[in-house]
Amino acid sequence: MSDDNGDSKFERRTKRAFDDSVAALDAATRSKLTQARYRALEEQTSARSRGFGSSLLPAGTVAATALVAFLVVWQATPPAPVPQAAALGDLEILLGEEDLQMLDEEIEFYGWLEEQPEFANVDSVG
Amino acid sequence: MGLALSIAQREASLETEGALIGALIEAFLREVEARAYRIALMQVRDRHEALDIVQDAMIRLVQRYANRPSEEWAPLFYRILQNRIRDVQRRRAVRSRFVSFFGGTASEEEHDPLAEAPAPRGDNPLEQVTADDAMRALELALKDLPARQREAFMLRNFEGLDVAATATAMGCTEGSVKTHYSRAVHRLREVLAEHGEEHWNE
Repeated sequence: MSDDNGDSKFERRTKRAFDDSVAALDAATRSKLTQARYRALEEQTSARSRGFGSSLLPAGTVAATALVAFLVVWQATPPAPVPQAAALGDLEILLGEEDLQMLDEEIEFYGWLEEQPEFANVDSVG
Repeated sequence: MGLALSIAQREASLETEGALIGALIEAFLREVEARAYRIALMQVRDRHEALDIVQDAMIRLVQRYANRPSEEWAPLFYRILQNRIRDVQRRRAVRSRFVSFFGGTASEEEHDPLAEAPAPRGDNPLEQVTADDAMRALELALKDLPARQREAFMLRNFEGLDVAATATAMGCTEGSVKTHYSRAVHRLREVLAEHGEEHWNE
């Protein structure tokens, strides 16, 4: 028991002696230790930036994959079939220089004209 | 829009978490750096090497274990530190064998550990010199202990790690830590008493 007490006292003294020797470290050594700590923390900062990149990577990958998939599907879908003659007709109208507004105003006249018997077979003549 | 917002939120959250870990680990390193340096210096007895060892241990802790729970940092840090100290000692032993094989003398054999001890300080110079002498005697006694006993003593006594944390730091069982530590205390007391170091045993 007394030896245990002796051990405890001895342990307290060694601990105090060590603490004192740490407190006695000179300023130059402390400065170097501070620099060493900053160097280590820089590692943490750069690791964090690398971590950012990698953490954003899955989101970026998902977005890029979705875009590629959309483009592939869009390219692969065949356009609705359009009759060639009608398509050409539409193209002519779109490219033509006629005044479409005038056509719109006189459409009733052309409708009436088409219904008249004397003009019914005009296209078939000749 | 939603994806961009979620990325921004995640970025902000990681930034906050990273800054918090950064602040915690800085506080931890600031607290242990001087003690780690003294422990390394006692074992390698070279200021530059001791500084390099502490810096390496800090960097490795930050690189590999910053994201582990902060209560694990101390045993992990001291484990890295002890591994680095052992690396330096092994390298020296090899160099020493190599040099002696060719008939030279290894410079570390001529190294004087007392010259590396901190300068005296304090209000009472005589008391301080006595304390410094006692500390030097303790350092020399520690140097003669088997490596595992020395590690156990430094981690338990100087650094104040509990048995479990010391076991993690040393990579052994808690039972082994208790045995090594107990033997170290008894051996140190004997050695210091033999050398008339009343400071420790009075």
